[in-house]
Amino acid sequence: MSTTPATTPPKQRSRLGAAPWTTYLLLVLLALVYIMPFLIQISTSFKTEPEAAVNPIGLFPQNWTTAAYERLFRFSDYATWGMNSAIVTAFVTVGRVFFVSLAGYALARIPFRGRGVVFALVIAVMAVPSVVLLIPKFLVINQLGIYDSYAGMIVPLLADAAGVFIMKNFFESIPVSVEEQARIDGAGVFRTFWSIVLPMAAPAVMTIVILSFQGSWNELNHFIVATQDPQLTTLTKGVAQLASGQLSQGTQYPLKLGAAVLMTIPVAIVFFVFQRRIMNVSAGAVKE
Amino acid sequence: MKTVRHTRGSRRLSLAAVTGTAALLLTACGGGSGFEDEGGDGGEQSSGGPITVLIGSSGDAETNAVTDAVNAWAEESGTDAKVQVAADLNQQLAQGFAGGEPADVFYLSTDQLAAYAGNGSLEPYAADLENSGEFFPALEEAFTYEDEFWCAPKDFSTLGLLINNRLWEDAGLTEDDIPTTWEELRSVAEQLTDGKTPGLAFGPEYQRVGVFFEQNGGGLVSDDGSEATVNSAENVEALTFVQDMMKDGVAAWSSDIGAGWGGEAFGKELSAMTIEGNWIAGAMENDFPDIDYQVAPLPAGPEGEATLQYTNCWGIAADSDNIEGSVELVDYLTAAEQQMAFADAFGVMPSVEPAAEEWKEAYPEMAAFIDSADFARNLPTQEGANDVIADMNAQLAGLKGGNPQQILDGVQQNMEAVVSQ
Amino acid sequence: MVARAKSSRSPGPGIKGRQQLAGWIFISPVVVLLGLFLFVPVLMAAWVSVSDWTGRGSPFAADVGYVGTENYSQILTGGGLATQDFGTSIRNNLYYVLFVVPLQTALSLFLAVLVSRRIMRGRGFFRTAFYFPSVTSSVAITVLWLFLFSQSGVVNKILSWFTIDGPNWFADPRGVIHVFLRAVGVESAPQALATNEFLGISWWQWVSGPSMAMSAFILMAIFTTSGTFMLLFIAGLQSIGPEIEEAAMMDRANAWRRFIHVTLPMLKPTLFTVITLGLIGTWQVFDQIYVGTQGGPAKTTLTPAYLSFNEAFNQGDWGEGAAIAFILFAIIVFFTIVQRFVLRERDTVKKPRTKRSQAVAVEVER
Repeated sequence: MSTTPATTPPKQRSRLGAAPWTTYLLLVLLALVYIMPFLIQISTSFKTEPEAAVNPIGLFPQNWTTAAYERLFRFSDYATWGMNSAIVTAFVTVGRVFFVSLAGYALARIPFRGRGVVFALVIAVMAVPSVVLLIPKFLVINQLGIYDSYAGMIVPLLADAAGVFIMKNFFESIPVSVEEQARIDGAGVFRTFWSIVLPMAAPAVMTIVILSFQGSWNELNHFIVATQDPQLTTLTKGVAQLASGQLSQGTQYPLKLGAAVLMTIPVAIVFFVFQRRIMNVSAGAVKE
Repeated sequence: MKTVRHTRGSRRLSLAAVTGTAALLLTACGGGSGFEDEGGDGGEQSSGGPITVLIGSSGDAETNAVTDAVNAWAEESGTDAKVQVAADLNQQLAQGFAGGEPADVFYLSTDQLAAYAGNGSLEPYAADLENSGEFFPALEEAFTYEDEFWCAPKDFSTLGLLINNRLWEDAGLTEDDIPTTWEELRSVAEQLTDGKTPGLAFGPEYQRVGVFFEQNGGGLVSDDGSEATVNSAENVEALTFVQDMMKDGVAAWSSDIGAGWGGEAFGKELSAMTIEGNWIAGAMENDFPDIDYQVAPLPAGPEGEATLQYTNCWGIAADSDNIEGSVELVDYLTAAEQQMAFADAFGVMPSVEPAAEEWKEAYPEMAAFIDSADFARNLPTQEGANDVIADMNAQLAGLKGGNPQQILDGVQQNMEAVVSQ
Repeated sequence: MVARAKSSRSPGPGIKGRQQLAGWIFISPVVVLLGLFLFVPVLMAAWVSVSDWTGRGSPFAADVGYVGTENYSQILTGGGLATQDFGTSIRNNLYYVLFVVPLQTALSLFLAVLVSRRIMRGRGFFRTAFYFPSVTSSVAITVLWLFLFSQSGVVNKILSWFTIDGPNWFADPRGVIHVFLRAVGVESAPQALATNEFLGISWWQWVSGPSMAMSAFILMAIFTTSGTFMLLFIAGLQSIGPEIEEAAMMDRANAWRRFIHVTLPMLKPTLFTVITLGLIGTWQVFDQIYVGTQGGPAKTTLTPAYLSFNEAFNQGDWGEGAAIAFILFAIIVFFTIVQRFVLRERDTVKKPRTKRSQAVAVEVER
């Protein structure tokens, strides 16, 4: 490294450390822009319709009311939607964890013929844009006879190439000696996987759980093509219908925003609890 | 060598395992419809199979009325029947047909008739109905395709002019001022316009603004449907008339003033008048009960009176498991008595002539709608016409700042393609 | 060690065989699922796009015929409504991509720099705040956006503080560029642009810019995805490390130059990822259109993905819908390859232009 010329002004040195207050101000303003919409959303859901129209920005409703929520539950099947979302999310999450860790382990640690080909296919499949699959998935679901059923909603979502990737990478980071030890002690492949390696992969499994939860709770276009029975509507599909004026013609913002708020709560809770992991993983997972 | 032999053997084994798993998974998925049971697994033609009725409802009133009627029939006849309200009727119909499990009975609009009749999805039962001779001729015509009467019209509606009485009187207008010509309409709209509230607002679609086309002797296609007349001089005149009103602020699209449809604009008093169909009665009663309003026939244009009419029919799927039962159900639903019950519940007009007088007596204030039936016109029903109209609606959104001739020229091209099929 | 290895291998082929079996059993659910719901659908759709299936019964039934590229030619060269709709959707989506990808990349990079370098405290809070919108479902955000951008909504209220009369965003079909041209006096289409067409719509319409409604969607996209990409950039920045910055600073390069000539080139892989993901995502925009405007106003928010869905599910024209989906697939692949080419790692480093950057480059190499 070249010697620092004695003429370096002290100003330059300080740039490395402390941040000027302007940066903080900018950040606070930007954060406000990002947070305000949600605050407005919550506060509007407690306003009356006329007030929402006249005073959309106000964060504190003049006449605080839960009328919008009452209407939501009375005139729509919101509870049913919530139940359906919960069922689908639960099954998809558990299913994905199971299948994806099996596959990831196989790709990482079990030498079998065709492993390379399968891995290449998994990667190739990740490249297919999901919207292109909208029509074809409907056709396949139809042919299989699982259209308009819970099976049709859950099973196609169990296919998750990205998850396989994440698990494979994680398993590869577990030292081989652990498995060798298990083999020597006479454990078969499955036992090695189930009782020894999988528990060690708890962080990665947790990641898959979180990503699957978010992914299936927020899924929309799959449910559009997979079902038509009103009793199978999920929160996303139901709120989408509300937005396009199902309940009655006319803009009922407090009601629609209230619906949106409620459906965001579970995801928000999971997010805030597992923040750090989610953000680390999103960066890592997406990067791969 | 050793490893190769064993690898080959174990490969076969693993292949078998994979196929086995695949087969297992497939049967698990394909056997039955998972957790949900679909009606129609009876499979017999003649009787017994439960009937699904798919409707696109305008609101609770309609849903309840249809459900009550279908339940009553189900009890009487002993056949299980269930009403399903579609979130998106077109989409669910298409999905149902594609999946081979369509609803047995469903609402079918005039613009979908050609497509579904053409691809064999429908059962042409209407001519065999008990009361097949009693439908209004214009309605029967609307549902005739390739010389066959496909499905029974379930009701119909025409467009009329709705006037907010309070705003009318506030502007100093009286009964005599109810417009009967275009000039009068314009002058009345001017007097009713107040700042940002236009005198007249209606939905941004041909299905509303088309009345002006017809009133000027124009229309999208010629009378026999063989020629596209979209950019005729009469139509350009009509559209220019509407555009002038919009430019002067006395008329507006309901979407431009923040309403979802003409009825909402009218009910929230975002405009003093609107052009809507008689279905608005239910919405007004439920959502905007405080508005005092009256209905007048639309003013006549230079070529006379005209309005548009809308009708749906009860379609029966050719793939239905219980066609006989479905036909019986439709018979029941189109009987004069039942149609009057529907009229009472959600404001539609019966499609059978015998019930017309009764309706007029029961709803004298809606008389304008049923009287308008005399000069009501249908929208073009050729296959693909509704796509052209949808595209036209997209362009109409920019009418205020646009060029009517150009807009219509563009649509003319598309309509020609449709008509020449 | 060797002895142990040998003994573990002495059950020999048995273990290998069991491993083969185990391997395939472990992998088979995923293979079956991916094959069934990702691979097979693509094949089925390919068949439907070259057939005349009308939507009734199975597309593999005996009476469904092969029509070759008829669906494709109708969309690309037919000139009728199908072509017009397709051209319109491509135009709309193109503007969406052109605005969203650069803006969201720049914004997320900016946020990342602010959050990871310039401040010490509150990093976690800011990261959370910027990332939260990405966690919510597109349905919830679209509903919120419909409210914020309504005629008398929050955005227009704020604009009115600056005496700007905001448009009725989601109902306004005027293209941004057309509005700008009108403001500088160009009222209507010049002859050449108005008469010549591409994909069914005139060149004048091609240069309309995104409509007000589409602009609202563009803002929404930036709002919801900048957080995700910010995280990627933060990770990328962290991997660069502070020593390089120090080195650059010792050579008296100011902050801006440091950023352009040192940081940015080292962020290239992350940049590449962000842009690729951005391209793939923006060309597929569907959920928001379905929930919000269904293609309106005046078809200015129609996108190929939504068009494909609408043609198939609502109009019953499955062949056309499938054809559009494949064309979209080709477009996405094309843009990804182009982007890869443009941002590829070059073997020779470009000669720095000024003395200062030369010094910095030398420093970095050391």
